[in-house]
Amino acid sequence: MNSLDKIYSKNPDIVFRKIANEFILVPIRHKVSDLDSIYTLNEVSARIWELIDGKRSVQEIKQIMLNEFEVGNQDLENDLAGLLANLAELGFILQGS
Amino acid sequence: MRNWDLFFRVLKNSMNCRYFSEIKYMEFAQAINAKISNERIPISGTIELTYRCNLRCIHCYCNQDKNNEEIRSRELSKEETFKILDSIERRGCLFLLFTGGEPLLRDDFFEIYTYAKKKGFLITLFTNVTLVTPQIAGFLKGLPPFKVEVTLYGMSKSIYEKATGVLGSFELCMAGIKNLINNNIPLSLKAMVTNLNQDEVIKMGEFAKGLKVDFRFDPLLHPRIDGSKAPCQYRITPKEAIEFELMNDSRLAGWKKFLERAGDSEKLDSLYYCGAGRDSFSIDPFGKMSVCSSCLSPSYDLRQNSFAEIWDNFFPLILNDSYNKNFKCRDCEIESFCANCPGYSMLENSHPETVVDYLCEIAHLRKEVFDNIYKDIP
Repeated sequence: MNSLDKIYSKNPDIVFRKIANEFILVPIRHKVSDLDSIYTLNEVSARIWELIDGKRSVQEIKQIMLNEFEVGNQDLENDLAGLLANLAELGFILQGS
Repeated sequence: MRNWDLFFRVLKNSMNCRYFSEIKYMEFAQAINAKISNERIPISGTIELTYRCNLRCIHCYCNQDKNNEEIRSRELSKEETFKILDSIERRGCLFLLFTGGEPLLRDDFFEIYTYAKKKGFLITLFTNVTLVTPQIAGFLKGLPPFKVEVTLYGMSKSIYEKATGVLGSFELCMAGIKNLINNNIPLSLKAMVTNLNQDEVIKMGEFAKGLKVDFRFDPLLHPRIDGSKAPCQYRITPKEAIEFELMNDSRLAGWKKFLERAGDSEKLDSLYYCGAGRDSFSIDPFGKMSVCSSCLSPSYDLRQNSFAEIWDNFFPLILNDSYNKNFKCRDCEIESFCANCPGYSMLENSHPETVVDYLCEIAHLRKEVFDNIYKDIP
């Protein structure tokens, strides 16, 4: 499957909080190794997090981001792939709806 | 159209990837507290889920009998608590303390705790741990708190149970701690130092060290919230309190750091000069909200007003109160050495601006000792 065709859903055990203009991911169920850590997103990553809904493909998310941000097609594709890979590795997003 | 690069930003430059940052809780807490210092966001909240307790500790400031039906009938219901959790989450509360009494006495504790976890709070739980069975520890393992803090009342059965008034409670405490440890629940131990258990405090510290968990102690007993001064008879003397400080390197280092910072800090004109009402709040078991769990007056009823109304309209009135210029403690030259605050003063003398003789005596001794040890502190 082309990576742009993939669809990701959020892990329901991750809570997204916006506090004082900071974007935070709070795992409800930690792995023991995570117990003393918290995750903060920048605004671009937070927007991508919002767009991940188990329905939109990566291609659709990419198109929305292209419309909202001044960014080149290839840069966006690379950054989007990088972020999704990191989130998937942590188990924060899951492939498939 | 928003600039792409401009929006790559992290709270702290310790990111381990370009897109988001994994940082330690303590670093995060410091960073976000600094960030909100001028914004009045209620980032830290305390909810006392009940005043009832299965122990009858002689020095406790609030405990009521576990079977006190009158108290139970007035406690916030589960649904009312959910509504409050919804409100404080919307306003930016992140660090949430569940305490009591003994929170685990509530039949609906796990429902409330689970609801709060799913809201994304970082929950600290204060418990005497005697009710923590392997099953409860297993539940907490599945939905781990940020931390569980357990008070030790002694390291021997006789002293522990003399304090708690409940036979068999020492064994239950040790079993509860073991259950938490076995389930990798983040734990720290603490002690209120009394004239009953002061000879066992070092042993408590060694016990904590053996478990590889943090330990801290506090000798500053205060009266009960119902006005009773009964706990004060168990206070150690001011001299003993200072001797305890001298025995503990981290406590000494903490005071040194505080005193160094205090020399640089600007004096506020307001009665409340800590985070009370600015970044924190406290809610009692009956839904009364105050700026701090020690300052029960003024308090506002969450059954009559929304959290937002109290935070936005009523708390600012409290914060606008100036301190009484005739109150000698605020201009005292050794104020930084003293633990007195409106909350302690209120509990001791039913007024937020009074001298607390016990604390005053400790402060003078502390100053004397610190002058000898740390000659570089102004």
